[in-house]
Amino acid sequence: MNWRRWLIGRRELTLALACVAVTLVFHFLSPYFLTAENLTTILHNSVELLLISLGITFILATAGIDIAVGGALGICAIFVGWSIQGGWPFGVVLLIGPLIGIGLGLISATLIVQGKIPPIIATLGLFGVYRAAIFLLLGGSWISGLPDTLGPAVNTTVAGIPITAIYVLVFYAAGWLISHWLPLGIAIRATGGNERAARLSGVGIARTKFFVYGFTGLLVGFAAFLYVARYRNVETSTGGLIALDAIVASVLGGTSVLGGKANILGALFGVLLVRLLQNGFVLIGVPSLWEQVITGVLLIGVLILDALAERSANDAQLATAPRSPPVGLASEAALHDK
Amino acid sequence: MIAAIKQIRFSGLLVLWLIALAVFAVRAPAFFTIANFTSVLQFSTLLALVTLGQTLVILSGGGGIDLSVGGIVSLSGLAIAWLLKAGMPGFAAALAGVVFGGILGCINGLVITRLRLLPLIVTLGTYYAYNGLALALTGGAPISGLPASFGLLGQSEILTIPLHTLVLVAPIFLLLLFTLNQTPLGRWIYAVGSNEKTARLIGLPVDRIRLGVYILSGVLGALAGLVGDSWLLSARPNIGDNLELLSLTAALLGGTSIFGGSGGISGSLVAVLFFTSLQVGLQMLNINSIWQLGLVGIFLIGSVLLDRLIRTAQTK
Repeated sequence: MNWRRWLIGRRELTLALACVAVTLVFHFLSPYFLTAENLTTILHNSVELLLISLGITFILATAGIDIAVGGALGICAIFVGWSIQGGWPFGVVLLIGPLIGIGLGLISATLIVQGKIPPIIATLGLFGVYRAAIFLLLGGSWISGLPDTLGPAVNTTVAGIPITAIYVLVFYAAGWLISHWLPLGIAIRATGGNERAARLSGVGIARTKFFVYGFTGLLVGFAAFLYVARYRNVETSTGGLIALDAIVASVLGGTSVLGGKANILGALFGVLLVRLLQNGFVLIGVPSLWEQVITGVLLIGVLILDALAERSANDAQLATAPRSPPVGLASEAALHDK
Repeated sequence: MIAAIKQIRFSGLLVLWLIALAVFAVRAPAFFTIANFTSVLQFSTLLALVTLGQTLVILSGGGGIDLSVGGIVSLSGLAIAWLLKAGMPGFAAALAGVVFGGILGCINGLVITRLRLLPLIVTLGTYYAYNGLALALTGGAPISGLPASFGLLGQSEILTIPLHTLVLVAPIFLLLLFTLNQTPLGRWIYAVGSNEKTARLIGLPVDRIRLGVYILSGVLGALAGLVGDSWLLSARPNIGDNLELLSLTAALLGGTSIFGGSGGISGSLVAVLFFTSLQVGLQMLNINSIWQLGLVGIFLIGSVLLDRLIRTAQTK
């Protein structure tokens, strides 16, 4: 029974193993899967989601949620597009997205902290506002046909490694440091675990929340920069419901939406697993329209397995002890204790 | 005092609605015509049905939320269209579709109550699964060419009121209103939503009540799919798109607490009519309907902020 507990506690490891297994299976099914070119494509298609999932993981850990990140991505992308059209220096083009992203993140945090609005309501409202704002800013037409000035920022390789992989690694390393080495990481978990207790222990709740939404804004802004660099256009639908994809990845990665838990590497492998599966199924001839079904089935399947495994692990442990509610994702009880 | 606060949020919404109507009355004289009244009701049915289900799901607490409801609308609409195409009579196909919607809702409810998983995550999973299936099984193309006789429900009107408003939205609303306020079952839904522990201790069947509201949400979603089919005489795989977020917004704007246990369906219905008249009115003023989404977002945040200000003012 111990191995089970051990595996449940290390979600990033099980997901990494799953990624390897999926890669091997598709390698046997399609000669095109395990090629440098295809893996780079998968990485490029995942980079925005990877960055945003990192932020969402922190937000979920504080027992928050952000539905509006897709809209924020769209708004940042518009400003990046404009700055390219205006011929502004590279530094401005690079920084304008993250700056606006941070600003938008702080708006969410202000509503949640100062306005005391539940995160889901505040960001649902902002989702609508951002959609309308994107439409207003774009004036109903697309920004398209941008010059390829940002091409090198996404297409170069450093020592054989695609530069996008380096961006991802840098941000995830920072996230991992914050989560595991800085007091901030403890503050984030404490805020989500039990806000009242955290406040009484002297954790700066407001500061922590401002940080996670601001940090997510920074990531969203940089994702917008990469988006514009890759696609060279901005449409009214840019960003869409990427928030939901990011929540799926974080939850797959072992982060609880009830707060108190953050698994940084889990989110990384969660995104990769979803993208590997989606890419692999297309290569073996499943139409890409099945993408969403794959995501949904994967999420529900993992959740059910998780709940069953935890239940049986608990049963074994508590065979002689009085029953207590299961912990972790499957803990509905925690919600009601708040 | 809690009743008073609820009242304030609800009447605040009514005031917003009246302001919107007044603006339209001045700027778009055609807004207050009988034909337009009919079209507001016509457009409101899908959202109204879905929002009634969403409201009950949220009311019953435990983090209750149904993100999959748009997918249920699309998927059951498709199921009904396939059955019609296969030669099944309209009534039987509709009935089978509604049962199918109930099953989709039941899947949500069973996973949530049996495995004790969070509704947000479970219905996020089925959001992808149901929407994805609707898209994948049709290749994204609508199923059109349904028999014209099937349009009776969606296209006819009696005394300028659309038939589906008369035979579906109004009776279902009244039935649910009566159930919520006058029957033990209705009070149980509030009890389960406001304090689950107490509800369990006094012996309420918490899980069965929650399972029931998810099934109801599925059934109402399927009815919305049915109305969509009958109205357009085709089933579109994306007809339910955005209904999950819109219905959630309507329920919250209507004064239902996201934590369950307080609120009600009257506010939700007013919010739906508010949304729809905003949409129709903005179209008349030649303003893109995306503004509806923006305004609704501002109203949602504003109403919660206002609510809080009033509450702090009252406690002082």
